[in-house]
Amino acid sequence: MSLNNIKRRKFLKIMGWSGAGATLAGCDMPTTMTVQEGKEEVVSYLSPEEYVIPGVGVWYASTCQQCAAGCGVHGRVREGRVLKLEGNPSAAVNAGKLCQMGQSALQTHYNPDRITAPQIRSNGALSSASWDEAYDLLKKKIGADSGLKGNRAAWVTGNVSGHQSVLIDAHMEALGSSKHYTHEVINDSVWQAVSKDMLGVANPRVRIDKAQAILSLGADFLGTWGSPVQNAVEYGSFRDSPRGALIQAEPTMSLTGSNADLWLPVKPGTEGVLALGIANVLMSNHGVKNIPSQFKSLVKQYTLEETSRITGLTGEHILFTAKTLKERSPSLVLAGASAQGHENGYEIVAAAMMLNIVLGNLGKTVEGGTQLPFSQMMASEGNTRDLLALADDLGASKYDVLFFYGTNPVYSAPEALKIKDGLKNVGFKVAFSMFNDETTAEADLVLPLASSLEDWGTHVAAKQGARSEVSIQQPLMEKIYPETMGFGDIMLSLLKMQKVDAYAGFNDYYSYLRNAVNNMPGFMAKNGGEAWKEAMQAGSLEVKGRSLNVSSKAISIKMSVPADDAQYPLTLIPSARLGLWDGRHANLPWLQEAPDQMTKVVWDSWVEIHPRTAAKMGVKEGDLINVASEQGTIKAKAYIYKGVNQDSIAIPIGQGHKGYGRYADGVGVNPLQILNPAVDKKTGELAMFATRVKISKAGSAKDKLVRMGGSETQVGRKLAATISADVFERTEGDA
Amino acid sequence: MSVTQLLFTARWFHRGVKQLNIQFQTGAAKRLAVAMLCLLMFAATTVQAAVPGVIPPVGTHEGEDVPQPIEFPHDIHAKINDINCLYCHTYARRSKVAGIPPTSKCMGCHSIIATDKPRIKKLTEYWEKKESPKWKKVHDMPDFVHFTHEKHLKKFVFDNEEMQVENVSEVCAFCHGDVKEGTVAKKSKPLTMGFCRECHEANGGPFDCWKCHK
Repeated sequence: MSLNNIKRRKFLKIMGWSGAGATLAGCDMPTTMTVQEGKEEVVSYLSPEEYVIPGVGVWYASTCQQCAAGCGVHGRVREGRVLKLEGNPSAAVNAGKLCQMGQSALQTHYNPDRITAPQIRSNGALSSASWDEAYDLLKKKIGADSGLKGNRAAWVTGNVSGHQSVLIDAHMEALGSSKHYTHEVINDSVWQAVSKDMLGVANPRVRIDKAQAILSLGADFLGTWGSPVQNAVEYGSFRDSPRGALIQAEPTMSLTGSNADLWLPVKPGTEGVLALGIANVLMSNHGVKNIPSQFKSLVKQYTLEETSRITGLTGEHILFTAKTLKERSPSLVLAGASAQGHENGYEIVAAAMMLNIVLGNLGKTVEGGTQLPFSQMMASEGNTRDLLALADDLGASKYDVLFFYGTNPVYSAPEALKIKDGLKNVGFKVAFSMFNDETTAEADLVLPLASSLEDWGTHVAAKQGARSEVSIQQPLMEKIYPETMGFGDIMLSLLKMQKVDAYAGFNDYYSYLRNAVNNMPGFMAKNGGEAWKEAMQAGSLEVKGRSLNVSSKAISIKMSVPADDAQYPLTLIPSARLGLWDGRHANLPWLQEAPDQMTKVVWDSWVEIHPRTAAKMGVKEGDLINVASEQGTIKAKAYIYKGVNQDSIAIPIGQGHKGYGRYADGVGVNPLQILNPAVDKKTGELAMFATRVKISKAGSAKDKLVRMGGSETQVGRKLAATISADVFERTEGDA
Repeated sequence: MSVTQLLFTARWFHRGVKQLNIQFQTGAAKRLAVAMLCLLMFAATTVQAAVPGVIPPVGTHEGEDVPQPIEFPHDIHAKINDINCLYCHTYARRSKVAGIPPTSKCMGCHSIIATDKPRIKKLTEYWEKKESPKWKKVHDMPDFVHFTHEKHLKKFVFDNEEMQVENVSEVCAFCHGDVKEGTVAKKSKPLTMGFCRECHEANGGPFDCWKCHK
């Protein structure tokens, strides 16, 4: 009997018998079914610390590096190995919670695709080299005698803060370079620009916990907007009695949208009109008079009928939203990725912010936050306008040397920006990375980084919690690969290479950090000890900052709506998930196999398509669909989904890697590739949600769309019984 | 009954006698009384079960010889020098694993004792290279079995009022056999589910599946 022709029934029979045999043997008969002697090794400690007991875990505090939120973590370490991460209860950002990406930092750390030695490009291909060779090459290319002109070198990073940021600045200063591109696909930079202009503060502290009603225009604050874990903790209080009401308007249902009391499938790009229309209702139906004068004519223009026509929402829903916001004060209006990612993104977010002013939320649910006393360590937050600037500057051959750290622009930039071609104009590209990815594939020198669980660092979260803190990152275990190196350690070597004497006294990043933290103004040890030691135990140091106030400032905007396009009738929504994030976590099997929060799909990409659109085309779930924009075509399986606007299709970002290791490669498609390089006119941010596409059938796929959970409905089984409010009041209420 | 036990008993008796303030007329009478009491104690300990109130598990296993990087002589340590098991396997009472003693612990004695012996020279070589020997595991459980030394020692030794810690090797021997009779450890008990189960049954150990399979 071969394995190929074994039938299910036969299989069960065999399993039944051998299973019964095993049970009998295990319980009632003596067996010798134990582990073989002398096959495994056991190595004792050489000279352990007194508190180390094999088999008993010790928890150390550190800071999560899976996204830029800067959550505090506790890592359980046993026998010199970190085994589990949890949220640090004393961290202000996340209050003891940790998301699935944070939990998966273990797989980033233990990933078999880690780079274990420096790689140098020779004869067109990267090959392993020693650190001596790497440093020799660096000396030749960027050393004090290399003849490199400072303005011909630049840094390209993701979000970076703390002393890593200080060292990057110092390195740029030593080189004479002035350009640092900070690129993140998932960002709230338009929200920040509007906040700065209208409130006087770029990063206002939004108090989800204090709000009685929230209108979120595409801000997936439980998934990808702001500081998701912090938001989720606050959301818990928001939903506590008296229960706050959440209304979410977005073109495709996000995790936050699925939690909303009312979800509105607003037509993409018309979120601003919706905000103005709500203001109109507040003015005409609820006697609200404090509409800022610059907005008055706009608000008058978008009557209920007009708003309903443009946004595709019913007048009833718009009336209900306005009523809810008015009656449940304080309220909170947020605008996120799908609202800001248009050519009029700034205007849309400004209209949303105007609602906060009109509803009197400033100082209540929109607070000023705190200004920390050290500007150098503050997070330089990523955006996409730097990516566009980089693309232009690469095209103009502005650089001889580029340094990449914590960002993968070759993957995440639209192909229309031609980043990959532009990089050919740069003579020497250095990538600091734990993994080979699309960007390191273009580099001339790849420096292998220690993992975040092996490295030192300080971090200042852009979205601070109730207290302002500097978070400490400390190694939870020895480096797995001895030839990898901490980012700070490499930076110190580079600075010494530029003959910056100030760093000569520091042998490693640890001694630099310890000295820096102990000598920083405002860092005082609470218990009379050394500030650094207390910080390491707690995972953070509290900092006294200056409280900022928000005050409404007058700006005037125009409102516009994306034009229809007969050739490309649909809008492409490249939606992000707390999971693969911007694609950086596609190499973590835990996150690949964790079913998508909305569709339950695993290990794949899919096209969310409205049942009516699908019916028109005769598309069934799992059919292959061509999605074509002006920039190109991608092909993915259809997922028939009621939670998507009829004029849109959505494809989650994060998949479709080429050269990002065994787990990421060959899985799904990357919708970022086919985005148009359109920008928000005011901020210069990439209009990521403004690309128009057309779709066509591409036949049936070879394999199924694999998703956990076979059905979208309860098929009448009352798994979670519900009753509408009307029926409840009629039949169960107090009358 | 070991040499230390005898000495311990004698010392205890001597102290007791002092405290009771019994006056002996002559030194000879005192010595006689001590000797008689020692004899009594000896008889008592040999008659009673090795571990009071415990029915030891039953079963033997013909283990393989497992060559180790250093042929560690359990007999010299535990039998001839009568060192308590918990002196080196100090983690057993604190953790699920008994632990191999850290190399620093070996060197605590062997930087002075028996430094000319070939096995100690080998150990010193490891120590100077800052390496620990890679021992081969002799006793191990499959991953689906959760066994903890801590709980077993607590029940049989530390919560057992009749039991003296000096005799802990008798408890260790339940599963590890008479280690002090040999050099390197050899598996001499079956350590199968039946072996565990019977002992749990006999001594009122927990009987839920998930106690061990968790």
